[in-house]
Amino acid sequence: MAILQALLDGLMIGGVYAVISIGLTLVFGVMGIVNFAQAEFLMLGMFIAYYAWAWLGLDPLLAAPLAFVVVFVLGAFIQRLLIHRVLKAPEVAQIFLTVGLLIVLENLALLMFGSGFRSVSTPYQTSALRLGPLFVSVPYLAAFAMSVACGLALWLFLKSSWFGQAMRATAQDPMAAKLVGIDADRMHMLAFALGVALTAFGGAVILPYLTASPTVGGQFAVLMFTVVVLGGLGSVAGAVVGGLAVGIIQSLSALVFPIQLQNLVLFIVFIAVLSFRPKGLLGAAR
Amino acid sequence: MAHDTSTKSRITRRQALATAAAAGLAAPALMRQAMAQGAAVNVGVILPLSGANAQFGINSRNGIELVADEINAAGGLKALGGAKINLVVADATSTPTTAANVAQRLLSQNDVVAILGAFASALTIAISEVTERRGVPLLTMSFSDQITGRGFENIFQVVAKASVIGKAQFDGTVEIAKGAGQKLEKIAIMYEDTAYGTSQATGIRAGAKAAGVEVVMDDAYPLGITDVTPLINKLRASGAQAVFPVSYLNDSLQIIRAMRQQQIKIPAIGGAAGYVIPDFEKGLGEFAEGVLSIAPANYDLAPEFTDRFRKRYGYFMVHEALEHAVCLDVLAQAIEKAKSTKPDDLRKALHGTRFDSGWCKAMTGGVVEFDKTGLNTHSVPVMVQWRNKELVTVWPSQVAKAKAVWSS
Repeated sequence: MAILQALLDGLMIGGVYAVISIGLTLVFGVMGIVNFAQAEFLMLGMFIAYYAWAWLGLDPLLAAPLAFVVVFVLGAFIQRLLIHRVLKAPEVAQIFLTVGLLIVLENLALLMFGSGFRSVSTPYQTSALRLGPLFVSVPYLAAFAMSVACGLALWLFLKSSWFGQAMRATAQDPMAAKLVGIDADRMHMLAFALGVALTAFGGAVILPYLTASPTVGGQFAVLMFTVVVLGGLGSVAGAVVGGLAVGIIQSLSALVFPIQLQNLVLFIVFIAVLSFRPKGLLGAAR
Repeated sequence: MAHDTSTKSRITRRQALATAAAAGLAAPALMRQAMAQGAAVNVGVILPLSGANAQFGINSRNGIELVADEINAAGGLKALGGAKINLVVADATSTPTTAANVAQRLLSQNDVVAILGAFASALTIAISEVTERRGVPLLTMSFSDQITGRGFENIFQVVAKASVIGKAQFDGTVEIAKGAGQKLEKIAIMYEDTAYGTSQATGIRAGAKAAGVEVVMDDAYPLGITDVTPLINKLRASGAQAVFPVSYLNDSLQIIRAMRQQQIKIPAIGGAAGYVIPDFEKGLGEFAEGVLSIAPANYDLAPEFTDRFRKRYGYFMVHEALEHAVCLDVLAQAIEKAKSTKPDDLRKALHGTRFDSGWCKAMTGGVVEFDKTGLNTHSVPVMVQWRNKELVTVWPSQVAKAKAVWSS
């Protein structure tokens, strides 16, 4: 029973990991850039949802689309103004830019929001559904459901819409995409904006059970990279598999080992997977 | 400094920055003034003003600034011809290495006569290595056992040790439960794996062992944990009658929320830090009501002092603010006694004096007196309980302001 409960908890938290990591993998897949500042957009999403709650009385789950839109616009600007310039630059320059962005965003947040922790209080925050002997935490379930909905919407978008298809085409072969008349610059902007907006969405939906602070990104950055590399860098489906896997591994490991070793177990599995499948679980199928 | 009674903590931060900037601009003028009255005394303040423990750092700084302004407004340090206290505040972030670097900088560039700080034990330990080497007094309210346990001569801790606090957390709980007719047989401990969490857990464990109570769960977890569910699942399965979480703020909110979700109704007895600040109540609302915690001191024991804090900052004087205020007042009294700011004279004055006036009266025990390890021998921890958005002292009975409510 304890195993079932742990699987359930791991699955729910894994769904959230998947959504916040899809953005990272999307940006890499389409633009070939590793965005080290990705987790800072999670922090922004949390703060947007927090202020929507504090000022407008909006539930963080309802504020998630708002966070998505705001960060989407911000992401488009950042891509146009900054990322665009280093697309063809050496990798070192790209790393400097995104790491620099990370530092700037974190410190701006410190200046604007102060360094304290902010937490919302919602009616469902402390409730859980009972499934026989199992407890399903409502805020976890809500975050999971929102993540699944968001993931499905993204999947539909990539699969069926013209923009989605064009974006995938750009990811597969930028030159060929250009030849058939796809504006690669526009696709890059869309991909980056979408990527960071998804992460911000994830930040908003986890706010009911976490606290927002300017440095919260650091706690998720390593996790996000683990998720995408485990699943296969650049693969959206890989991020979903990776996210669920990370959530479940963490949760199951806590059954046997002290919770402090959660990430140790995670990384042992991570290294094992990479030594057999260097491109990640779904690395081959982009 | 403006005395705006309506300021909230966020504004205070900006206000403080503005004050710092203004102080910087006004420095030449102040210098001239200081020359006329005897030079100002620089006191270093190192606190975590960003990162995971920032809220506590800000609270602490508020307490220190209150006392500094009070002393300066009352004519400064009389033994030094009315010299003013000039605080040099530095951010330790939440990283021990940074804290040590900052301490080094304050000592070599800012000419500070002593250092106050740094709330989190891990930071204080890092700073103490530097101050010990340089022979400069470090006054602290951090309480990990390591702080006074290393035979350092320049460290002064105004509160009891973590193991003592941990034991009191256990003993107080047993007594309160007994008063309500329940005998504790099984307890759970969960703590953050930092210097503070680890030492305090040792105290709880020792208390349980001495009382023959079984510890059915004893788990450490990492700082900055983002998912406490596995811990709470384990707690539910453990059959404990009470849980003793030792945590800072972010984790304390997660733990109490997850407990409520799983309908775990056993009492939670917090280990100070995250459980005794206004943000805890803000984050949990009605679920904070009735939560117990140990605290090294509490504001309701000396309202004549702590109301001055509430009036200025708009919230109750949290224990870290109170104890840091005591640190600065003790230092000021030591300077008055030594009539000097030389480290050797200060150390002698700090070691050989019974401080029983000013803010020392607001400390538990009412007196501050350091033994040769630098520990204040008079401070005793108290148990507090959340009642209607305030912390009420409920144990030990000699000082309690109300009877504890025990809901098992």
